[in-house]
Amino acid sequence: MEKKNEARLELASLSLPAMIYTIAMIGFPFIYTIWMSFHATTAAQQLVFNGLGNYSHLVSDGEFWHGLVVTFYLYFLSLALQLFFGTYLALLLFRSKRLPGIVRSLFISPFLIPGVVTGMMWLVILDPSLGAANYVLTSLGLPASDWLASPTWVVPTIAIIDTWQWAPYVALIVLGGLQSLPPSVYEAAEIDGASRRKVLFRITLPLLLPTIMTATILRSVDLLRFFDLIYITTQGGPANASDTLNIYGFRVGFEFFQFGYASALMVTLSVIVLGAVLILNQLRNAVAW
Amino acid sequence: MASISLRKLVKKFGELTVIPDLDLEIPDREFVVLVGPSGCGKSTLLRILAGLETIDGGEVMIGEERVNGVPAAKRDIAMVFQDYALYPHMTVRQNMAFALENKGADKAEIERRITEASRLLDIGDYLDRRPKALSGGQRQRVAMGRAIVRDPKVFLFDEPLSNLDAKLRAAVRAEIKALAQKIRTTMVFVTHDQIEAMTMADRIVVMKAGVIQQVGKPEEIYERPVNMFVAGFIGSPAMNFFPVTVEGDDLRLQTGDTVPGHAVPGFATLSAGQDRQIVLGIRPEHLDGAGEGKGEGVPITVDLVEPLGSDTLIHFTLGDVAAIARVSPDLRLAPGDRVSLVPAPGKARLFDAESGKAIQ
Repeated sequence: MEKKNEARLELASLSLPAMIYTIAMIGFPFIYTIWMSFHATTAAQQLVFNGLGNYSHLVSDGEFWHGLVVTFYLYFLSLALQLFFGTYLALLLFRSKRLPGIVRSLFISPFLIPGVVTGMMWLVILDPSLGAANYVLTSLGLPASDWLASPTWVVPTIAIIDTWQWAPYVALIVLGGLQSLPPSVYEAAEIDGASRRKVLFRITLPLLLPTIMTATILRSVDLLRFFDLIYITTQGGPANASDTLNIYGFRVGFEFFQFGYASALMVTLSVIVLGAVLILNQLRNAVAW
Repeated sequence: MASISLRKLVKKFGELTVIPDLDLEIPDREFVVLVGPSGCGKSTLLRILAGLETIDGGEVMIGEERVNGVPAAKRDIAMVFQDYALYPHMTVRQNMAFALENKGADKAEIERRITEASRLLDIGDYLDRRPKALSGGQRQRVAMGRAIVRDPKVFLFDEPLSNLDAKLRAAVRAEIKALAQKIRTTMVFVTHDQIEAMTMADRIVVMKAGVIQQVGKPEEIYERPVNMFVAGFIGSPAMNFFPVTVEGDDLRLQTGDTVPGHAVPGFATLSAGQDRQIVLGIRPEHLDGAGEGKGEGVPITVDLVEPLGSDTLIHFTLGDVAAIARVSPDLRLAPGDRVSLVPAPGKARLFDAESGKAIQ
């Protein structure tokens, strides 16, 4: 019995630092945010309890609903682009095994660049008068555009920038999945007379689905909380065309100093992210083979 | 249904030649087992037949058709893989239908063939399950079902039993044999397990280092191995090899004991006193334990006893050779016991120690 207690004590002492870290760095801010979301901020920057006031305000807040729409528009567009190009890139890299390692590394390097640097870089590329993007377009005889200043094009443009940065990350995950597919299955398909197209659509892609779902989950968490790139390039504009929930929440908190309401927005966003992860996890289990 | 013929076949992997020059004829409807140790080229040979490996010389014929360079899909062969290679995301039914769909068979025909094959293999109950919901033996059967529905000219099996446990392996072995008798198609089966080879084959092809050592019926290979490699590889426990010299009408062992020459086939071709190094090969089951003091035979001391129930294996050392005899359990031997072993007349073999070839 004593030995068992000793073992328990040892276990507790070993896990204590991790537990303290978790509570201090994750648990406390999270619970504090929830606590704040039930409070209003007075003009004197005092927090006063107002129950579900922030949440009922949220339901009638047009900006919130707009943010939600922008968030999901950007989410679905970026996700689709990133999964498509990521998988495509992975298939290319998998086929071109002779490509030197350094070139393969270059292909998948964009996600190593900090989001802020990416944003600055693309601001230069997309600059309406000096940028490379319009230069290329006009050289091809296509009309130039101020991509980030157009309410129509701002979200697709941000989605493209994010795809440039994160499709390689998806590719890296999918490439790992491709490398672990059983080779004998491909030989069986060869003997079974499947065409290359059929092998891709009936064998490779279905077998990759669980891996693609993993990439989807990882990207979903980031995309639903989209912030840095938008903050650098548009700050939610033009007007509020790229005002995602996260950007809106940031503005409410740090521009209007309504920390209570901002907290309610962030708690709502967290619930959305959590719900998405739970649903996607179920989907991943459903496609596992 | 088709015969197979391989002529002057050469296969290299880069600089490494795995099959230097191989000829083999497999008649229509024969069940041939390619057997040999790991790396002997048997699986490579099967994959060449399947069209999964290219060749560096020679000719592969399936039926009347020269299939060098013909893609796997066009060879009308079916293959059962070691790991079954079932499509894990498809149901059993979809697995079986896949090849037929690729050929453009109509739905009714596909369904008819699946029903037929699943009845033959008794897998009708889990047609809608995915491979992960099946046991190893069931997957094995589905893999065979996938091959059968195609009604191929040739069946190829690449060590299909090696992932099964011992009990199941024996059962599936019997199933495959029964199946082969039912569907009578040319079958080529690769294994490193000589028991599988012995029990299933119409003919066995023993390979070593890309070279065919012997081709023959199981009993032929067992009774008249052409060299020490075949003699040692086929049979379990393996044949014992004792260095001997010719002395008059007898063969003298290292220990000084003698075995009468008239009991050993090939002895007549030898002449006494010649320099040739000779090896006497005797299978464990051809050594009869006569008990101590019976006069006849070679006296040995038992080192180790392995009771198998029906027989008992006794390990002993003769000169510097560790050997095994399969004796009756009634002898009730224990380590340290002395016993005389008598070679069964006509069953031992003589080999040339240098070339390893049998002396006929």
